[in-house]
Amino acid sequence: MTSQQVQHSLPSQQSAQSEHSQPPRIRDLPLALLARRFSTGSVALDYGAAMVRVRSHLGAFVRDFQQVYGAFTLADDAPFADFHTEVCGGQGLRAFLRPQSRFLIDGIQPFDPFPKAQALPHFEWGVNWCFAQRFNQHVLLHAGALALADRAVIMAAPPGAGKSTLTAAMMLRGFRMLSDEFGVLCPRTGRLWPMLKPVALKNRAVDVIRDFADEAILGPLYKGTRKGDVAHLAPLAASVDARQRPARPCLLLFPSFRDGAALSIRRLPGEEAFARVAFNSFNYALVGQIAFDAVANVAEACPAFALEYSRLDEAIESLRTMLLESPAVATTA
Amino acid sequence: MIALGPADPCMHELLALLADPRHVHNMGLPEWDKTIRLARQARLLGVLAQRIQSRNELLAAVPECVLGHLRSATAFAAYRGHLLRLELAALAEALPPELPVAVLKGAAYMLQKLDLARGRLPNDVDLMVAHSDLDGAETALRSAGWEFEEIDAYTERYYRQWSHELPPLRFPGHPLEVDLHHTITPVTGRLRPDTALLLADLQTLPGERFLVLHPLDQILHAAVHLFQDSDLRAHLRDLVDIDGLIRAHVHSHQDWQTLTARAVRHQLERPLWYALRYCRAWLATAVPEDLPLAAPPTAVIRLFDWVFPRCTLPRVPDQPVGISRRAAERLGTLRHQWLRLPPGLLLRQLAHKGMRRLRARPLVTDQSK
Repeated sequence: MTSQQVQHSLPSQQSAQSEHSQPPRIRDLPLALLARRFSTGSVALDYGAAMVRVRSHLGAFVRDFQQVYGAFTLADDAPFADFHTEVCGGQGLRAFLRPQSRFLIDGIQPFDPFPKAQALPHFEWGVNWCFAQRFNQHVLLHAGALALADRAVIMAAPPGAGKSTLTAAMMLRGFRMLSDEFGVLCPRTGRLWPMLKPVALKNRAVDVIRDFADEAILGPLYKGTRKGDVAHLAPLAASVDARQRPARPCLLLFPSFRDGAALSIRRLPGEEAFARVAFNSFNYALVGQIAFDAVANVAEACPAFALEYSRLDEAIESLRTMLLESPAVATTA
Repeated sequence: MIALGPADPCMHELLALLADPRHVHNMGLPEWDKTIRLARQARLLGVLAQRIQSRNELLAAVPECVLGHLRSATAFAAYRGHLLRLELAALAEALPPELPVAVLKGAAYMLQKLDLARGRLPNDVDLMVAHSDLDGAETALRSAGWEFEEIDAYTERYYRQWSHELPPLRFPGHPLEVDLHHTITPVTGRLRPDTALLLADLQTLPGERFLVLHPLDQILHAAVHLFQDSDLRAHLRDLVDIDGLIRAHVHSHQDWQTLTARAVRHQLERPLWYALRYCRAWLATAVPEDLPLAAPPTAVIRLFDWVFPRCTLPRVPDQPVGISRRAAERLGTLRHQWLRLPPGLLLRQLAHKGMRRLRARPLVTDQSK
């Protein structure tokens, strides 16, 4: 067992949990009990790379949360959390007049309140913010990451290229999702950590994914948020249960969706792949030399492709083949 | 040890770690959980991280999830240090080479390569020139592209007439602000250090364009900044700076004598006395018992011992701020204004701020500022 695997729980606790009493999934808890835990004990949530404590008194938030975190378990007795957050209502008059939700980390409110009905998207962006600001021990690639067993594909694309949609669809077709937004690359091991969160689907993508698979569990549709209409796809149990298992980068992919396009795959030179991944990272400049080395290792080890597609299933099947056949070798720092 | 007031018990862990990083051996995950938060709030996580990471035998005692935060803080501090170096290089380019310019605080600690600069998060760039050079320095920076942030006429006047620095300057797009000082305390303040002595004893550093204060003046500056020119809130980091400066610059009995003599010359005995009191109590700084420094009256010390920990120590923000902490913070603010401004000006300043508060009260406050 590597030191990474014991990141948040001692080995004895971990095996005890898996062998004897797997804690119940959040979807199986009575809503009233979940709400009480949120308001009193403050819930701890294991995202894989990070443990996050959440406190909230907002009933609507807890209800939405249960839908999109259904397959997760509560880690209430975790002795250590990376972030301590709270989702709470507006202050003073704003508790009644056009009610708001506020996101706090360590008592600090990093951005303006949202309408109360959008507490869940607010929380999701809040956790992303904490992570992007404070987790500089990792190189945080702006990329989707999925795996088959422990072989991972990193998918980087500018916003609007359909990265989240493709990530969501791949999970629904049996890939293990690590993250739809953060490729969490550990520079010390060269491995990708899961940062498993509900996938925020925007506008058209919501219906695409709803129609794509019966297993898709989508949370409420939030109309008119700052990023348009948003609904969250709940991560499936298989991805959730493996969220403490880092994966090895084996493939770099730059997907783009174009209506009516025939599937096309183009090999990219390593240096172009390097530039596209590095300069799309949240903290490349901040982490500096360490980030350069980590991304260069990935670009050297993994074949890189640009993929244009219009039909999801066709793209996913070719991706499956590419990932399984990728000759990438271990990139351990 | 001076009572920490209603501080979280983990405050003891943070202070113990700052006094001696070998305290990691006594820490479990629940203690780390709060200590990391407290250290980050006090802007000391990078300092703590460096002290632990530089000793391999300590690293083994730190759980992996905690190490992640230490590594992250180290990366962030290194990045901020890099930005500071870039800003200093740009400033060196813009300022006429014959103009003597000193850097204060963070930038000075970094250029001197002091241990205390390792992992320290620099805020802004603090420059100091002689008052007679202030116009020249301002003109040079403004013609090179640095700009004042937009402030109203009252604030501008406050800076230029009653402060010891110009309003903050920033080169568009640069992340760090530049504060241009002409002395180390507000010109209206109760305590007036000997600026001529500060300027006369500026030190050069090999290969550097910028000067730094005399080592003992660096200690006195940090002390006066904390105990005279601040509302005492959230200043544990300044105390850690003072501790680091003493460990770097003051070793012998003779050094201590020189330091106290210099404090007397600058009329800064009182701030130094307080600084040494809390450094010794909280950070185990090796301060001799028998220094020739006049102590404040016992009642004042007792009051200060009540106010200072409540104001300056970080807190775990899971509970609302208690009433004693709020009272202490109010006292800290009043004290600061009293020390900074003579009564007439103080009245005027309070009236102005009160009016401004009545005029505009935003519905949503951004607490991150």
